[in-house]
Amino acid sequence: MSDHVQEIGQQDYEREVLAAKGAVILDFYSTECPPCEALAPKYDAVAEAFAGRARFLKIFRQGNRELATRLGVTGSPTLVFYRNGEEVGERMTGEEIKKSALKAQVEAIAG
Amino acid sequence: MKTSYDVIVIGAGPAGLAAAIYAARARLRTLVVDESVPGGQVKTTHKVSNYPGFPEDVSGKDLAGAFAAQAQRFGARLAKAVEITSHDLAGPEKRLVLDEEEEVVAPAVVVATGAKPRELGVPGESRFRGRGISYCATCDGAYFDGKDIHVVGGGNSAVEETLFLTQFARTVTVVHQFDEFQAEPASVQEALANPKIRTLLSHEPRAFQGELALERLEVEDLKTKERKVLPTDGVFVFVGMKPRTELLEGLVPLAPGGYVETSDAMETRVPGLFVAGDIRVKRFRQITTAVADGTIAALAAQRYVKEHRR
Repeated sequence: MSDHVQEIGQQDYEREVLAAKGAVILDFYSTECPPCEALAPKYDAVAEAFAGRARFLKIFRQGNRELATRLGVTGSPTLVFYRNGEEVGERMTGEEIKKSALKAQVEAIAG
Repeated sequence: MKTSYDVIVIGAGPAGLAAAIYAARARLRTLVVDESVPGGQVKTTHKVSNYPGFPEDVSGKDLAGAFAAQAQRFGARLAKAVEITSHDLAGPEKRLVLDEEEEVVAPAVVVATGAKPRELGVPGESRFRGRGISYCATCDGAYFDGKDIHVVGGGNSAVEETLFLTQFARTVTVVHQFDEFQAEPASVQEALANPKIRTLLSHEPRAFQGELALERLEVEDLKTKERKVLPTDGVFVFVGMKPRTELLEGLVPLAPGGYVETSDAMETRVPGLFVAGDIRVKRFRQITTAVADGTIAALAAQRYVKEHRR
């Protein structure tokens, strides 16, 4: 994982996501998930490009089922976008997440 | 930065990687680009039982990894998780820009971009994608541990993936539009004998419903036209594939269904532009037939590159 992406657990969700100011992106990932492997380098690269403007988090779904269920996340990878603790924009999920689309959405919420 | 190759292969599924193995082994400078990790559809297939050379089942992920390793052993460069942000495949020098930063050129290009899961096109489908609707059992099956779920489809993938999903789900109900399955008889028999699997034949999905996540699937009984709303924890959709032809728009004519016509040497009407694998017009789409296409495309491209150099 790059220095620009921080791994959290569901116990950190309140503090790291809901109470956070500015733009936060949360990536639900799983093992045995080729689309997650494909997203990882793109996610790292976008996180690096937005360093200081948006925070990029990832959370391991198998270890954090309760939060995934609460947010209605049933697929990996799923990216959820937040601004000042509120979910904003469309979630992105599956194999078809393009780096350019991710960048554009982060640009829009980072302001 | 601009890098020259002899052959650029777009798509690292079985067709693309077979092409890369042959091209690289013929000492052509070979680049394979893929927007994901190597393997195409094979990498998310939980097991492969009919690929020659593997007397025991092999996991799709392992088979994909072996294809990629073999291509790299002969010197092919594999560019993973990259996006083609600009392209010109019409002229004698084909040109791609990767991730807006790297320019790559070659006289020959093999497009082996394959196909992606077809969507149903039913109301609520895009809203609940990743919130109860999935197109990949290996990726998302574990989310449905102990749940009651549905599978839509009745072909080989639908039935095979249904069997895989019974590892997790409490019940899997297969919704299929026809009154019998189209899958291979061996898998159908196995599925019908599985106590976790139920079937709802001659039914078609009409809507997905729920609040935050998917909660209900509305289906129509095609015989009586009656509509029913079924509670569900999740729906997996396996209703065929859609070819990925975005790069070829305006360059080559597309047949009905969006597939690409080629010669038996995988040539298109654009000199130096070859097409291989599931994206082609053909009767049967298997790993073995994709690999055959990739082989032929690489041999034809090799000859083209040689003639082009003179």
